Amino acid sequence: MSIEIDAFTRVEGNGGAEIIIEDGEVKEVRVKIFEGPRFFEILTLGRHYYDVPDLEARICAICYLSHSVASVLGIERAFGVEVPKEIMLLRELGLIGEFIESHALHLYLLVAPDLFGYADAIRMASKHGEVVNEGLTIKAFGNYIREVIGGREIHGINVKPGGFGRYPSIEELEKIEKNSEALIKFAKRAVGIFASQEPFGAKAEHYIATNDYLYGNKLIACDKESFDYFEHIEEKSLPYSFAKQSRYKDKIFMVGSLPRVMLKAEKLTPLAKRLFEEYKERLSKGYVSLNNLAQAIELVYGLERASEIAKELLDKGVEGENISVEPQEGEGIGYVEAPRGVLVHHYRIDEKGNIAYSNIITPTAFNHALMELSLYEEAKRHYGTLDEKTLIQKLEETVRAFDPCISCSVHLVKL
Amino acid sequence: MLKLGVFELTDCGGCALNILFLYEKLFDVLKFYEIKEFHMASSFKEHDHLDVAIVTGTVSTQRDLALLKHARNHSKYLIALGTCATHGDVQGSVEGKIREKLEKVYGTKANPMKALDSKPIVEYVAVDYALPGCPYDKDEIYQVLMNIAKGVEPPKKDYPVCIECKLNEYECILVKREIPCLGPITLGGCDAICIKSGIGCIGCRGPLPKEANPAGEFEILKELGYDEEYIRRKFKTFARGELRW
Repeated sequence: MSIEIDAFTRVEGNGGAEIIIEDGEVKEVRVKIFEGPRFFEILTLGRHYYDVPDLEARICAICYLSHSVASVLGIERAFGVEVPKEIMLLRELGLIGEFIESHALHLYLLVAPDLFGYADAIRMASKHGEVVNEGLTIKAFGNYIREVIGGREIHGINVKPGGFGRYPSIEELEKIEKNSEALIKFAKRAVGIFASQEPFGAKAEHYIATNDYLYGNKLIACDKESFDYFEHIEEKSLPYSFAKQSRYKDKIFMVGSLPRVMLKAEKLTPLAKRLFEEYKERLSKGYVSLNNLAQAIELVYGLERASEIAKELLDKGVEGENISVEPQEGEGIGYVEAPRGVLVHHYRIDEKGNIAYSNIITPTAFNHALMELSLYEEAKRHYGTLDEKTLIQKLEETVRAFDPCISCSVHLVKL
Repeated sequence: MLKLGVFELTDCGGCALNILFLYEKLFDVLKFYEIKEFHMASSFKEHDHLDVAIVTGTVSTQRDLALLKHARNHSKYLIALGTCATHGDVQGSVEGKIREKLEKVYGTKANPMKALDSKPIVEYVAVDYALPGCPYDKDEIYQVLMNIAKGVEPPKKDYPVCIECKLNEYECILVKREIPCLGPITLGGCDAICIKSGIGCIGCRGPLPKEANPAGEFEILKELGYDEEYIRRKFKTFARGELRW
């Protein structure tokens, strides 16, 4: 027999799970990604590089800027283009806006209802309006940064190889500096709320992240390895899912907030680092649900860092000049930390500037195997002691801890 | 209270997300509507009788098709929201047959998950309102929901992006800077957001109904030196084969 979870709720995209029971025991869990395939790599093949970041942005609305930036970094590396620090800082600011928007969405609107016992944040708002409002305020601020840097809240077109279509004004940067400082107190409260959550899910044995906090030129792992994704990560197709599964040196691993704070704590901003130290012991237990606490610490990090970057740019002035980009035959990989974890965009481009090969691996795809293992362990822990409805609820909470973005996970391909 | 359902078929999640980005206006909407289905935002589900169903995304699997039919058969008004739902968007423009695409990507022609070639929902069912945009303008869905609640027929936009570009007094980048811009043949309503960034309109709101002149746009771009294949792909990106010339 089997228990079906028809559709995960309060997650982005369409997916479910099947828990297979044999002789009264949980034998297997299959996470099914049934969001339809969107064939992005076929779409970008043969397209001119300049249009590609806008197309890739459409992979995901919750993290469109991560896709745009990863795409731009992959293209620039293929052409051997290096941009000045100011442009990288603005890209980082955009990514931070996305972290703030995405983490706030996840923590306040998708997970908090579990902690407070409601079906959704709207129903929760009648009793806990303050928490919901704080979350929405932080989320709106993250979106404001996305609009300034990306050109629009969703699917902006402003991030381009060599720079930007439009550079932010002094007023916009001042607003970012001022508002981010003001919102830190809300984010600190979120850390308190999520620190109280009971740990559940599997224990992640391996962590992977990019070498810098929000992007990088290599991946790093908890065994101190520094590598390119194709050296140690293997993907395989499954008959019951549109998403593939990955292994690092044959082992199941995790990407996301928990791996980031554990592997790169020294790069955190002062207050975020202090909070990390305070909860380090708890976080080091490695349960996937601790990802929520790590996200709350990253909200503090994001707000502190947004203010730092805005201040630095205001102090030295924004030049607003693009680097000229000349297409040439080449190959490049863009590694970015999307809110949910490592995102890879890998391209080969021909001498005319058209895409000849493209491979994209998204964080939810990287986490797919661990998600399945976590559901298996939770189902084993509770099957027979909880009624089916409560069991399914527990399993949904476990899936939610990954903040999965199912729309993104369905196209991880080599062409 | 009117009963509202939000159904997400295959897409990037943005159209559903954008409803949450209404912020305080969402709470205005909730004075008239009770959410009965919205899987991104709620674990609550009770969608057998709805007044308004919002459907986002393309039909890309048999499951999508069944969900769409359920939404149509159980609601009074059905709103196709976003360019995926109205025109097919980027996944609708991917060329090739489904089995060939599956083989390229997954290494097998087998189709156990019953994928279909992506098509907009308007190809399968009649819709009461179609609001394009990738993403759509939030205010449009707000207005439509409020109008339905008050029994008013929502107005339709029918002007090109160029109008909003002119109103903002942006310089015409197609003529002055020779950057490919689909503004003349694309439905307005985005406040010429791409042109604000100094970038040509990418056409994400789909073709302007009725008076569009893609043949003229094609000629202009060819004269500027862009090759035919490049222009063809640009025209196709959000609207599949709808723009003909």
